[in-house]
Amino acid sequence: MQFAAGAVGGTLLTPLPWKLADDSAVWSQNWSWRPSPERGEITKVPSVCTLCAGGCGIQARLVNGNRAILIEGNPANPVNEGSVCALAASALQFLYAPYRVTQPLKQTKKRGDKTGFQAISWEQAQTELSKKLEEIRGEGPHTVACITSSRRSSMDDLWAQFFNAYGSPNLFKMPSECDASKSAAQLTTGNSSTFAFDLENAGYVLSFGANLLDGCAAPSRASGALRRWKKDRYPVKIVQVESRASITASKADVFLPINPGTEAALAMGIAHLMVNGANYDAYFVKNNVFGFEDWTDSNGKKHQGFKSLVSSSAYTPEQVAKITGLEPAKVRELAKEFASQPKALAVWGTGRADVSNNTYHELVFVALNALKGNLKPGGLIGLAPKAPLSELSAQKDILSENSSQQPRLDLAKSQNCPCPQNGLYGFLDAVSSGPKYPIKLLMVHEANPAHCLPENKLFAAAAEKVPTLVSFSSFMDETALQSDYILPDHMALERFDDVIGIPGAPYGYYAVSAPIIKPLLDTKHTGEVLMKVASTLGGTVASSIPWKSYEDFLKFRVEGIAKAKAGAVIDKPIEISSIKAGDPVTSNYSDAADLFKKLKAGLCWHDAPSAVTFDKTTSGKLELACQSIGKNAQSSDDVIYLPHFAPLKPSGSESEWPLLLVSYSSPRVSCGYLANTPFMNKLIPDSMLAGDELFIDLNPQTAASLGIAQGDQVKIKTTQGEAGAKANITPAARPGVLYIPRGMGHKAYDEYIGNKGVNACQLMEVQLDPVSGMGTVWATRAQLRRV
Amino acid sequence: MNEEKTSASGKVVGVLLFVLGFAGALVLGYLVFPNLLYSQKLQPLNFSHAAHRDNDCDSCHKFRPDGTYAGIPKISNCKECHESAQGNTEAERILVEEYVAKDREVPWMVYARQPDNVFFSHAPHKGKGVECVTCHRDVTKEEKLPPMREDRITGYSMTTMEMTECEKCHSAKGVSNNCEVCHK
Ligand code: SF4
Repeated sequence: MQFAAGAVGGTLLTPLPWKLADDSAVWSQNWSWRPSPERGEITKVPSVCTLCAGGCGIQARLVNGNRAILIEGNPANPVNEGSVCALAASALQFLYAPYRVTQPLKQTKKRGDKTGFQAISWEQAQTELSKKLEEIRGEGPHTVACITSSRRSSMDDLWAQFFNAYGSPNLFKMPSECDASKSAAQLTTGNSSTFAFDLENAGYVLSFGANLLDGCAAPSRASGALRRWKKDRYPVKIVQVESRASITASKADVFLPINPGTEAALAMGIAHLMVNGANYDAYFVKNNVFGFEDWTDSNGKKHQGFKSLVSSSAYTPEQVAKITGLEPAKVRELAKEFASQPKALAVWGTGRADVSNNTYHELVFVALNALKGNLKPGGLIGLAPKAPLSELSAQKDILSENSSQQPRLDLAKSQNCPCPQNGLYGFLDAVSSGPKYPIKLLMVHEANPAHCLPENKLFAAAAEKVPTLVSFSSFMDETALQSDYILPDHMALERFDDVIGIPGAPYGYYAVSAPIIKPLLDTKHTGEVLMKVASTLGGTVASSIPWKSYEDFLKFRVEGIAKAKAGAVIDKPIEISSIKAGDPVTSNYSDAADLFKKLKAGLCWHDAPSAVTFDKTTSGKLELACQSIGKNAQSSDDVIYLPHFAPLKPSGSESEWPLLLVSYSSPRVSCGYLANTPFMNKLIPDSMLAGDELFIDLNPQTAASLGIAQGDQVKIKTTQGEAGAKANITPAARPGVLYIPRGMGHKAYDEYIGNKGVNACQLMEVQLDPVSGMGTVWATRAQLRRV
Repeated sequence: MNEEKTSASGKVVGVLLFVLGFAGALVLGYLVFPNLLYSQKLQPLNFSHAAHRDNDCDSCHKFRPDGTYAGIPKISNCKECHESAQGNTEAERILVEEYVAKDREVPWMVYARQPDNVFFSHAPHKGKGVECVTCHRDVTKEEKLPPMREDRITGYSMTTMEMTECEKCHSAKGVSNNCEVCHK
């Protein structure tokens, strides 16, 4: 007893207990799962972000040149000027993600069974793919198809080169907001380009649902423009017109809530008042616009013009007020303001960067800008200029020549459309519903249609009919999970890539995205896989794709710019938006090698904007009466040629489905190929996602009529599917309309990403645009009840 | 009487036992425990600071251009002179054959590494004229690297500076001891 007492007393006087207590605290800081950054030299490597189409300059902070610890904006890049979005800021969570595919995999069990994936070598993966492609080629190369990203990069052109040489027309891109702009530019100007907006120099912005700050196709440029609008001595007035009070609406000077999908009706109403009040750019319209007045076609048949249509009683302020839900006086006030502001610009969008718009509505907004004179040289709207990259031209052999007689599969559905575009929905529909010919091999690159394609069940139905599905995804996403082979690409930060133009920007832009780090896993650049497969196939396929590495391929592409001596590299701060169409931009690189070296070092190339040209249209003018629509027209009604309000009716009856469901994109949620990172999930407010439960926004009036209180568990049922969610009652929602964010509800990935909320794409209805045949999404009929 | 005797001798025994326990605990706590707690690890090869005396500390323990401290030199630094052997010691052989020739970094163990939750920057200390030897051992005459005594529980070196020492110096020099000065 005494001994023990002495021992305790003695021990207390030694460092032993105190040191042990201290050590155990320090020990707990060093548990193996606690992240501990590597120590060493910090370097910064500049590059360009390719996680979306926005084209921002980034720089990576590395420890000892091999451990990336931070992605930040590159202040030297004129597009984002040092800012970076949440997706890129958390991009390292993709690089070091546990859900990356670490090496090529082959499914040995039933599709979708994760345990069935067997690791195979690259040698085996490439040999098996080449063998399949070789076998199919002998039977008919047109039975191979590919779905690739909607982002514009040289990978698109490499895929196109491969498909041309191989002999299949079935190459499709994921849908994008730019698709409709392309159709509208094609119809009105005859150019295969998209419209570009001089946002930075506008004096008044009337936005018809353009999601400038809510995840548009070029988020950094849009927020940069907003910063300028707010900073100027005479701030630019922003009027946001849409049905939901979005973030863009919250930053606007005026927010006009209207019924969903009626933005084009309001634009027609404004045009009505401008035309009737002779308050438009009559000089521009008279000299440069075809179809404003009544017109006569080549057969001598007389047709109604836009002037007569828009000034009709269908678009009076009272009529428009009925459609949109605004007061007639508000329509008048808005028209007066828009017409009288000297630098007023109308911009528009679907509220989602990854779905196409109704072409007629797209034409309405073009017409409104035409009345304002915005399409004249030096005006606020131009055409997106193209970087003169080296063109690719595929060599064809007898097999590819023969198969070029085969029509693209989507045309079975859209051949009657006046202006058929490359329609993924038409293709999926054709594959699943007994096609003209079968698809034997489908490749999916940088896309996840099984999750993020609205009405994603269409992809699932088509995939069922395809015997071999190959994914090139870096991640175990929903499409990869359903694939027979996964040939994982490097993650975006580990590979060479490029950015061809910024969506909607008037200036020419090209940037090379050099890897910031060596590949961490046993992955391979998909471009290099294609090169390898092409060389195995041999003949004209191999000679059409002669490059050995993707870097070599990009060097070849850049040679085109150098040969044209076009544009210049931005190596000192410039105000890119101050360059006007036709301004000289003197090249500052000595040759192609010098240009590539500068681009590889993270500098970007730019060129002056290009004005809209009309010389490719039948009339040689901007065609408001789109004569090319007449070619395949099913109706003889004059209105088919003209911009007009033509909402596509959602299926289901109003009595059975009294509500409308509208999906929206949020800058906090990545809704494309890339899933939300765990970091981004932390940014989502509790009114959008709490735990794993997603909230559906509804107006207090709607909630009261349904007996639903804030946070109630609800069941939403649409004509397409049903899901459980929670109710978020908010005046930001329009009465009678439900809103659901896009990008949630992943079923693949891991516990940090998967099973968070509901995938809006499984609830939304897609309707084919009658002009382009592209899938459009605006609203789906729905029911909601408390459970 | 007998009982009293027993009780007196019992007390003595009791005191003796107490002293024994007390002394034993002191021996255990001061002599045995540290030897048990800290392992003794030898560096991968010996480095004689004395043999490199013609250099200043910071000609090898450099500051990078951005002001951050590079710590222990990299093999490239050793290579500047030791591309081939400079003598015939065992350490020289190991350096050249195992590291220089194979272009591998020497996995030196650091005697003064601070935990991750401490933000310590050498630059402001050096800027204020604090000498290296204020915190580190004087190595000018050191022929042989001491063994690394690593705390078996925490993994840190026995000579890692403790917070109290930082605080003492900070308060003596009138520098803030606010938490966020060192724990960012
Ligand atoms: S906006 Fe797009 S391009 Fe810009 S940093 Fe974000 S993900 Fe990258």
